Amino acid sequence: MEAVTLQIREKSPVLGECALIFVTVGSHYQGFDRLVKKMDEIAGKIDEKVIMQIGNTKYKPVNAEYFEFAEYSKIQKLNSDARIIVSHAGVGSILTAFEQKTHLIIFPRLKRYNEVVDDHQLQIAKELAENPNVTVVNDVEGLEEALKIDFSFVEGSNGNRLVPSLKKYIFSIS
Amino acid sequence: MKICLTCSHGGHLTEILQLMDAFEGNDIFFITYEGARSSELTRKYTMKNLGKKPLRFLLSVPKVFGILLREKPDIIISTGSEIAIPVFYAAKVLRIKTMFIESLCRVEEPSLTGKILYPVSDVFLVQWKQLLFKFGRKAQYWGNVL
Repeated sequence: MEAVTLQIREKSPVLGECALIFVTVGSHYQGFDRLVKKMDEIAGKIDEKVIMQIGNTKYKPVNAEYFEFAEYSKIQKLNSDARIIVSHAGVGSILTAFEQKTHLIIFPRLKRYNEVVDDHQLQIAKELAENPNVTVVNDVEGLEEALKIDFSFVEGSNGNRLVPSLKKYIFSIS
Repeated sequence: MKICLTCSHGGHLTEILQLMDAFEGNDIFFITYEGARSSELTRKYTMKNLGKKPLRFLLSVPKVFGILLREKPDIIISTGSEIAIPVFYAAKVLRIKTMFIESLCRVEEPSLTGKILYPVSDVFLVQWKQLLFKFGRKAQYWGNVL
């Protein structure tokens, strides 16, 4: 285990700098009404700006800016600008949040609400629950509370071990 | 060496982009779906989302053969979703080496694409150790993208 250095980023709602919450549901073909509706409701009650990527969700936010899909550079910028990201438990969204060093609230899609084809999002959420840069919320009622926390990003808690192994393999067959 | 990366245009693409450092110095091209995310890739072939549409699957086969015959990659690598199915089976016929990497989101249960491609993949990787037991002896764990 390498030493973990604590980095406080200037994204504090207290400071009022770039106080932005970015909500993202990825590119999955099913919608995610539960998350978008709840975050829209919360957006109507708080001072922080909320921007949502709603994908194939039918419900359209009224209290927050939203778009359906965007090119990756825009998604990366929103991830980087946000104080906090609220996301489905999709791997793409999770990796992008880590890459942009922003704390992430994970709200898994569930099969029983027709949000996803099976419940694998619960498994990845469970695996990431111990990660210091992740807060897992399973009930919509827990979202508002989770957003009140003043998060910081902990560096060095992730390491991409697959890359060196792959590199070695590619080299061996070249 | 020429590497073909094939995956769908969302999270699976994000995942494969995390691995780009491993492919550095090689000639790389993509086979992926049309979408906002994939629009920024430079060297790519795109097709309409296959989803669960059997007719589109069938129609994609000649297109995939055409791409692979033209490009003649040394290896095809995929992080998944169903787009890899026609590509890997075509690769089998054309004797092109393949590597399937089960998505990070698959912790305890294999994906349907993973199950379908396990028999035809030359190298088959999982990103969680507990998934090794769900596949056969071919499956390996080399770490994950986190």
